[in-house]
Amino acid sequence: MHEFSITSQIVQNVLAEAEKRGAKKITEVHLVIGKLTFLGLDQVRFTYEVITKGTIAEGSKLVIEEQEGFVKCSNCGYQGGFKYEDDPLYHVPVPTLKCPKCSSTVSIAAGKECTIRNIKMLV
Amino acid sequence: MAALKKVVVKAEEGEIYDIELAEDLLKANQRLAEENKRLLHENGAKAIDIMGAIGSGKTSLIEKLVQLLKNHYRIAVFKGDLTTTIDAELIARHGVETVAINTGKECHLDANLVKKALQKLNLKRINVLLIENVGNLICPAEFPLGSDKRVVVVSVTEGPYMIVKHPFIFMEADVVAINKIDLAEPMGVDVKKLEKDVKTINPRATVVATNGRTGEGVEAVAKALGL
Repeated sequence: MHEFSITSQIVQNVLAEAEKRGAKKITEVHLVIGKLTFLGLDQVRFTYEVITKGTIAEGSKLVIEEQEGFVKCSNCGYQGGFKYEDDPLYHVPVPTLKCPKCSSTVSIAAGKECTIRNIKMLV
Repeated sequence: MAALKKVVVKAEEGEIYDIELAEDLLKANQRLAEENKRLLHENGAKAIDIMGAIGSGKTSLIEKLVQLLKNHYRIAVFKGDLTTTIDAELIARHGVETVAINTGKECHLDANLVKKALQKLNLKRINVLLIENVGNLICPAEFPLGSDKRVVVVSVTEGPYMIVKHPFIFMEADVVAINKIDLAEPMGVDVKKLEKDVKTINPRATVVATNGRTGEGVEAVAKALGL
């Protein structure tokens, strides 16, 4: 839902960085997006294309790397994927904050990223 | 937006420069949220973020919380909506300071909007800030505002699968209010099952069954919030 505003910020930051360096053209932008964000990658790509139109980033390649979500347990030290609850009533397994090893409550350690990793530009 | 954190600048073949950045755009919101929280704490106030779907009963619950608590705390309310001040006026008639935050097109409040709204308040005059987020079970999860606790309101009229279909927002919740329990029977929805769904996804959340029209369960919500 908020791909437009996030992508606007991405483009704004990319253009600001390019301006600082007097770039003539932006050729590539690399993003890392966590799987636990609510950002739809197709929508990010589409809005990126729309927002960059008429700027020096128009036509640049957008490369998105996805980051898996994982959790950390402060009780037993587990670090890894979610424990899923597989209740036939739910039709699909539901992710939970229960530690797969010791059943304590875990916290989310990765998967919420939305990072501009690098930008390639012609100066 | 906070300034970009530059890590490395290196030249590549020909005239192409590869600029490495490490700015997380969602973290930029988190940083602003932490600033909001610090500002509130410095002024001796705590904030509660109230999330939930459209029509889940967030405003009614806030009205009941305000009625219950207004003689014990100096309360202000931020009311997030795309447009209109209808709900903000509903809350303001209880005699608490209310700021309507109209997001225009955005489906959630963010820390920057809350920061701007905080500038409209005399923080010295309040000690509890209730923030009603835009009705949505998806995006608000991603945007912390600087609150001390987060509440998710889910009503039985949303059907039996609302919680398992939106696990990530329930992972963010400190308190979950299962609302409109008077309608559970006609809806054929089992409140106990909804409660179990929350506890399965997020064992540390406190679950309270509520009726925002009569005020049933509202004291338990306040207690779970430490108010």
